This record gives sequence, structure tokens and C-alpha cells, in this order.
Amino acid sequence: MRSAWCLPSVLLLAVACAPQPSRTKVTPPGTAGSAAVPHAVVVDFRDGTSAEAVAERAHRWGLSLHLNSVEGARSGIAIAEGVDDVDAALARIRGDAEVEEAEPLVRMEALGFTPNDPEYPKQWNLRMIHMPEAWERSHGKGVVVAVIDTGIAYEDREEYVQVPDLAGARFVAGYDFVHDTDHPNDDNGHGTHVAGTIAQRTNNGVGVAGVAFEARLMPLKVLDRSGIGTSADIADAIRWAVDHGAKVLNLSLGGPGYSGVMERAVAYAREKGAVVVCAAGNAATGQVSYPAAYAGAVAVGAVGPDGQLAPYSSWGEALDLVAPGGNTKLGPGNGILQATIDRTDFRKPVLAEYQGTSMATPHVAGVAALVFAAGARTPDEVERALFQGAVSEGAWTPRAGHGRLDALGALNALGKGGAPVDWAPLVWSAALLALLLLSLQTKTRPGYLNVLLNPATLLPLLLSTVGLWFLKLLWQRFVGHSPEAAELLFLPLPDWERILFGRGRLASPLMYSALVPAIAGLLAVRWRSLRPVVAGLSLGFAGFLLYAAWAKAPGIAYLPFTFLARPWLVLNGAAAALLCRSMLRREATR
Amino acid sequence: MKVRGTVEFRDVEMGVWVLVGEDGRTYQISGGRSSLLKEGQRVEIDGDVDDAAVSVSMVGPVLRVRSYKVI
Repeated sequence: MRSAWCLPSVLLLAVACAPQPSRTKVTPPGTAGSAAVPHAVVVDFRDGTSAEAVAERAHRWGLSLHLNSVEGARSGIAIAEGVDDVDAALARIRGDAEVEEAEPLVRMEALGFTPNDPEYPKQWNLRMIHMPEAWERSHGKGVVVAVIDTGIAYEDREEYVQVPDLAGARFVAGYDFVHDTDHPNDDNGHGTHVAGTIAQRTNNGVGVAGVAFEARLMPLKVLDRSGIGTSADIADAIRWAVDHGAKVLNLSLGGPGYSGVMERAVAYAREKGAVVVCAAGNAATGQVSYPAAYAGAVAVGAVGPDGQLAPYSSWGEALDLVAPGGNTKLGPGNGILQATIDRTDFRKPVLAEYQGTSMATPHVAGVAALVFAAGARTPDEVERALFQGAVSEGAWTPRAGHGRLDALGALNALGKGGAPVDWAPLVWSAALLALLLLSLQTKTRPGYLNVLLNPATLLPLLLSTVGLWFLKLLWQRFVGHSPEAAELLFLPLPDWERILFGRGRLASPLMYSALVPAIAGLLAVRWRSLRPVVAGLSLGFAGFLLYAAWAKAPGIAYLPFTFLARPWLVLNGAAAALLCRSMLRREATR
Repeated sequence: MKVRGTVEFRDVEMGVWVLVGEDGRTYQISGGRSSLLKEGQRVEIDGDVDDAAVSVSMVGPVLRVRSYKVI
């Protein structure tokens, strides 16, 4: 009798210790060599000094001071560049009570590629996503990235100019859908800024750097001079881009209105093998804008240099990733700096610092190009690498999606195959089984191992919790890379909804419910020999659904309110558990 | 349609003027003279909400201004 109590407590402990979905750890790069950076100082504030206090001192000292990294908010380390007289500035700074240490900035040559663009040190955003290390592996060579925006300042023609830091960047022919010409020049500045983040001419000793600087840019102008356009033009441009060889589509644009035409265009792009990356929106609400919210799109929210969701960024069920988009509320130097044209005079090239989910999006598009260039073949493969490689606290959340973009993490995740098997649902099922058995009277209770070791129960249990992963291992060993369709068959049974209903972020309420076990249960009324099978199936579903509720993922489609997802999962999980209990008991009394 | 609300400037993307409407929605103002675009100004805008419009600002539906009055 005592052992009957021991087992569940051990299993519950196992549940508590069950591993969270994978986290990415990035090893800090090694260092070799160092040199003082001219006109730059580093200030170590007392730990816990607020960003406001730092901004206030920057203003008082007349310095452009910004927190050094995501850790800056905690460590209190800030840097200032463009300091005319370093010694005088240090004397002023050292007199402050909040300052623990101040000294000239020294550059340690990190392992990794450090471009010589003079303004690169201000691009905190590129270091945040570990570009120096990622550049050692891929520059996005040859991958065509369509920038569907206000155009790009890519040529000197008529009244238009080319931005100097795009000279020598690679372009493929594009189109201007606003004026219906073959010359999609930029008369706004937005598209050029976005294009710069993707493929600014890098290591050319001019201006700033870009993520995938050997990718080829396809300029497509769909937004007019005021930055507004129509869903029809955008849908046209999406189809045009993939028909002309684009593998990555950057859409730093959006609106609140659903458009079936645009949604079909996004689906078409994916079918043709392109990744569609879209901005989540700047409405600061829990509703991601369109086209980002369509199933085929990667929706990107924005974080500031502190790694927190930017105050303007939209978020919600459709969010996939967050990436640096800037937060100028933290002071100057905390936006995204790229070369573009002046917003009031499009003939004047400038370096401009903007913030927005539009600025976050091209980071993801650029990394998608790196991943394609590193050997990924399908949009699914690229997205898997982006999501698995992201820096996260654990499971998907509506405010961070799968986590913060990490270029090195994405390249590392590529080639690791599909997602690792998540054993947690099986562990939950096993613990649940122990509890269910305890709830039965001794006379009607089958032995724990008798249930588990019955193949008729064990197979459906494995199928509905961890899927046919062992077949996948065999496939990879003897056949090679598994096709996408087969990948789905290896998934746990509730996730087969992706075969039935296509891919999307939200799970179908038909499969993420007790419906399948219930139907099986009805069959077992007629054919009693099915009872062990139904017991395994319903136990698996119960464990799977309850674990999903506990991990707060995923959202459920068609529910009127997002908060209903968890009660839905819990209720259905409980129903499946009760079904399992009745199957076990009757089996025992027979 | 007519919307009453407060005109505000939002520093996102290229910078955008919005109308924080009394109906609880935030509109991106399109058109209108510079006398409309003043921080904190209370106005009633007569215009059309363009549901098919897509923009770089992504702060809310685009409101095409026909006329307005300061209130």
C-alpha cells in the first residue's frame, strides 16, 4: 500500500522537474588584443541606477550616454561616444555620487567579425543579436530579400539620389506599384532605412553596417510619400517578389483591416518557398496588425536596448519573435541607426535613428537570409531555426513570442533537425495515471505497470504525447532527411491538426480537446476490446492538454477571448482523464 | 464620419500624428493642414476611415480628413 503512494509522489516530483522547452545559451566570445577607442568613455553607475537617472546625467554632462547592453539596466554600465575631451569629461563624471568608476573605453577584439564602418559602435542592435559571431558563418550571400515598402534610395536618377552607404550593395530589379514604373526609388526614407538594416554596405569604411550585407535587395514600392498604401498593391508586390526569385520578404508595414487578398498572397509566397517577415504594429495593444497576423507570416515585435518589449510595440497571440526596434524614451542612441534619406527632403542622404516594429522586422529578415545562405531550403526550416535559436525564458508567450532574435542561435539551430522530443506531456500522463489509479478502489484498481506495459495502452499513449519520434530516428538513419509531410506524422497526435487544418499559430479546438478520445470511447462501448487502447489514448490526451495549459501554450483558435484558452485545455484534459479512469476501472472489474 | 478627440504626435517610425478619439480608438491622421496638427489640440474631425489602408506607422486605422474644427 505504501508503494502505491510512493510512486505518484516520485512522479509528481518528476513533473515539477520536467525540463522547460529549450533555452538558447550564447557563450560570450573570447577576447584577444585591445585598443583604446578614441573619444569614448565607459561609465559604471551604482547597480540599480535607473535609466532616467542615467539620461538626466547624460544631459547634464552634455554627453550622448547610453546603456551598453541589455545587461546595462542591471549592471549600470553605460558608454558615451563622440566625447571631445575625454580627460575633462572623466573628471566631471568621476565627481558624481552615483558613479562607481569611469574610464576611457577600450575595445577588446572579440572573436568574431568587427566591421570597420565608423558608426558601427553605435549599432547596439547588431551586437544584441550576436552579429559579430554570426558574420563568421554567413553574410547572406546571394539570397534575394524583397523590401516591400516606400522604395529604396538605390540609384541616382532624375530627382532621386542613391544613399552613399548603399553604393556597391547588390540589387535586383524591382517595381514601383505606386507610380507603375520600373524605378522604385524612395521618396519617404522608411524603405531605405529598413533596407539598410538588411544589407547596408558593410566593412566599407562608410556609415553603418547591415545584417546580411551580401544578400541582394529587391526594392518594391507600395507605399506613397506619406508612407500609406493599399492592401491590393501589397498583395500584388508579394506575388511579384516570389515570382521574381525573392526568398525573404520584408514587410515593415501594417493595418488593422483583414484582407483575404493579402492573406492569400502571403500563403502563395510560402508555397513558393519564401519566408514572409512582417512588423507586429506600433499600436501598443494585444492585437498584432495585418499582414503580420496572417498564418503564413512571421510577426515581429520590438524590444529596446534593455531587452524589454518597447512601449509602442504591439503583441498578442500572433506574435512570433521580438527583435531590436529601439526605445528612444531611454534617451538618444537607443534607436536603430541606418543610412537613409531625409524625411523632409528626399534628395538628402542622412544617418537617421528611428524606432518601431518596422525597424525590428528587417533584423529578422536579414537573419532569415543568413540562414538560407547557410543551407536552409524551406521556409519551415528557416522559421524553425529562427524560433529555436531565439533567446527565451522558456515557452512561447504573447509578449515575446518564441523569444528574442539571435543570429548566432539561429545558425546553430539550423541542421539540428526538427524540434527535440518534448517528454513533458508523457511525464504528466504517467503522473496522472498514478493519481487516477489511487482514486480507484483496491478491488477495481489494475497495477500501475500492468497498465503501462500493455502495448495496446502504451502505443496510443506514446502516440498522443510524444508522437512517433522513434520512427523519425529510424527514418533519418536509414533514409535521410525527412520530407515536411512525414515530419508532421512524427508529431504527437493532437498536433496532427497541422495536417488537417494547415499551419498556424493557433491550435484547433477540435484536436486540442477531448473529442478524439471521446469518439474512441464511443467505439469502445460497442467493441469492449478497444478499452485498453482508449485508456492509453485518453490518458495521453489528458497529459498533453494539461501540460499545454500549464505551459500556457498554445493559443486556441476560434475562441472569442484569449483568456479562455487555458480553461478550455484544463476542462478537456480533465474530461479525458475521467474517460481514462472509467476505461481502467471497467477493465479491472471484468 | 465625425470623430472627436485629441491630436497627438507619436515618435514611432517616421513620426506620426494621431487622433486619440473619444470612441477609445487611435487614428492615424492623413491630410489636414498644419493648423490641425498641434500637440494636445482638441478637435472634431469629419473624415473617412480607410480600412484598406496599410502604413508604416501601424498605430491604428487611417483617418482621411475632409474637414475639422477645434473644440
